[in-house]
Amino acid sequence: MNRRMFLGYGAAAAAIAPTIATAQTPARVIDLTIEPTDVELIDGRIVFQWIFYGDQQTVPRPVVRAREGELLTIRVRNNAPEAHAFALPGVPGAEIPAIPPGGVGMATFAAPAGGTYLYLDPLHAPAHRLVGLHGVFVSEPAGNATPGGAATPFARTRLTPAVAAVFDACGPDAAARFHGDPWRPGREKIWLFTQIDPALCAQAELRQPLDGARVRQTFAPRYFTINGLSGFDASEDAATKPKGYVGQPLLLRTVNAGMATHAPHIHGNHVLELSGVDANGRQIIQDNVIERDTWLLRALDRKDLLLPFEPPQDIPAAAWPPREEPFPLRYAMHCHIEMSQTAGGGNYPQGITTHWELLGPTRPTQQG
Amino acid sequence: MADIDFTRTGVSGEATYDNFSCNVWSENPPTPDRVPADITFERQVYSSGRVTMPDGRRVEMWGFRDPLSSGADGDKPFPSPLIRVRQGQVVHTILRSGKATHTIHHHGLDPSTFNDGVGHLSFEVSADYTYQFSPHSPGTYFYHCHKNTVLHFEMGMYGPLIVDPPEGPGTLFSGGPRYDVEAIWAIDDVDPTWRTLNADAGLCGEDARLDRFRPHYFLISGVPAPRTLTDPRVVVRARAGQAVLLRLINASYSVLRMTFGLDATVFGVDGRGLGRPNSPWSRPIPIPAGRVLEMSPAQRIDVIVRPTRTGTFPVRMVFHDWVTDAIQNAGQGVAETRIIVS
Repeated sequence: MNRRMFLGYGAAAAAIAPTIATAQTPARVIDLTIEPTDVELIDGRIVFQWIFYGDQQTVPRPVVRAREGELLTIRVRNNAPEAHAFALPGVPGAEIPAIPPGGVGMATFAAPAGGTYLYLDPLHAPAHRLVGLHGVFVSEPAGNATPGGAATPFARTRLTPAVAAVFDACGPDAAARFHGDPWRPGREKIWLFTQIDPALCAQAELRQPLDGARVRQTFAPRYFTINGLSGFDASEDAATKPKGYVGQPLLLRTVNAGMATHAPHIHGNHVLELSGVDANGRQIIQDNVIERDTWLLRALDRKDLLLPFEPPQDIPAAAWPPREEPFPLRYAMHCHIEMSQTAGGGNYPQGITTHWELLGPTRPTQQG
Repeated sequence: MADIDFTRTGVSGEATYDNFSCNVWSENPPTPDRVPADITFERQVYSSGRVTMPDGRRVEMWGFRDPLSSGADGDKPFPSPLIRVRQGQVVHTILRSGKATHTIHHHGLDPSTFNDGVGHLSFEVSADYTYQFSPHSPGTYFYHCHKNTVLHFEMGMYGPLIVDPPEGPGTLFSGGPRYDVEAIWAIDDVDPTWRTLNADAGLCGEDARLDRFRPHYFLISGVPAPRTLTDPRVVVRARAGQAVLLRLINASYSVLRMTFGLDATVFGVDGRGLGRPNSPWSRPIPIPAGRVLEMSPAQRIDVIVRPTRTGTFPVRMVFHDWVTDAIQNAGQGVAETRIIVS
């Protein structure tokens, strides 16, 4: 038996940034380690996965954060008994072609334009990323303000008038469509979606050869996770669940690391679709912003959306704010390709679902 | 004031693994913050409905019937009857669950949690409950049961819901496009092997294989393909120069790729008009004839076509598997219909 990490259920929720800086090098070094891991799923089943760890090997799938243009060295140690690799699709130079067992690979590159990215092991695609090797990379834009002065999560040079208009519509102006606070950098949640096929994980554990083309034919996912969690746990997870008062808009960074398509559906508010990617993983900032309750999230898609934290618009005016029904109002987000709501073939809704909470109709004054 | 013990529901009760899935809140409370309704609907759950497929197989469907109507659609209509309301009306939908627990989620409407129909956040209805909402944005929606949704929605427990602007049918939204002819196309795929399951299948941990969806039949508004090519419930008839509104509801579990035999324009998505005054960041999307329009499950798209000449124009909907992206049913997962312009 090889050495193993163990991820108990609920342990997979943390999302913190590794920030290991070395003064000697011009590039900030970010260390990741690939570890064979036994992972406990929502129903208690344990499957084998490979996982990227950050910081002291304690944080699975760490969210890597950088400033746009910042020089980074990603240093990946491979503690698994087979070769692995690293890539950040859509980001030139951010690739480590192969890291032998026990070896270390490095790539140095400039952090890309502000937005949401997905790092992964591209070997035998999609096999290695489906056995667990993926995580989210967030680039904070260098200059991010709209011509009107509102902060956005995107590079000023890439902003479209449409996306700028959305952020300009969030603020204290009484006429603002999303009256309240402006969007503030950091007010965000990451929703990393994927699927798990225990049979594929077992193949990886037995070190059977994984053929990408064959996996594309045979992949049969039975567990569905958001930030490594499912169902009840994802719904109770503070790092996953958006909370706020009316007028506190929040950015949703939605990423699909799996092979199946998802159709996330949000209750309570519509969301505004701000960005996506093209077939090569390059970022697209929308020039026509559509308000949706359901969005298409294909394999390897990365879409940023704004959850406006509006009053739920279809509560009768005479019943707002509610006097009998208490706050917080709580709403589901779940994938509407409902097979993704199962775990091990049943257990609805122990799949890709979480909640968001509207804490009150106006924010406490001390919050400004 | 309604007398409601919120601790007996997901609103104030302690959330546990057990009441999230297997043992969900089951109640019949009064409606909190109730205000007088401008319009009221009743929806009574039925099971053991049937759709006869082109191969002769009679496939079981569940759904909602309207106990107030004499039932032109028959006793067990599929899809469930239309709910059509005006922007700004206060709407009450009374659910009568019957023998088992169910809910109604008015999909795309943004009501309070208690009126949203998600059992683990509120309650499932064992007898009856009056859902309350007041739609503010005209467009195309649908309603469906949100209990064991993977199964109940596939079994057919859904119906279309349309919100008209104050000026009524004929205008998509105030200031938006007008239309002369309207079609509601609820697009669905059916796996006959799921019909042997009971309403609570899988909920308490058993493997009901609800992660394996293999649709064999492809339907538009309850009509299985290829009858969709000729059935008057689906085929659209218009005159040259008229504006035809196609209200598309993807009620399937497939990614739909559709093509139209004539130029089309998307004017609404998910009940939100494109280019309406409070959405200056959006605009209508032209879809030239033959270009693929992709639609995820549960999305709604409002498309307008304006035929300028007579003829028969095909509309083709191709159903793709969510995992492999292959066309469903070994390449047979297609539903086609026509717009006949005289």
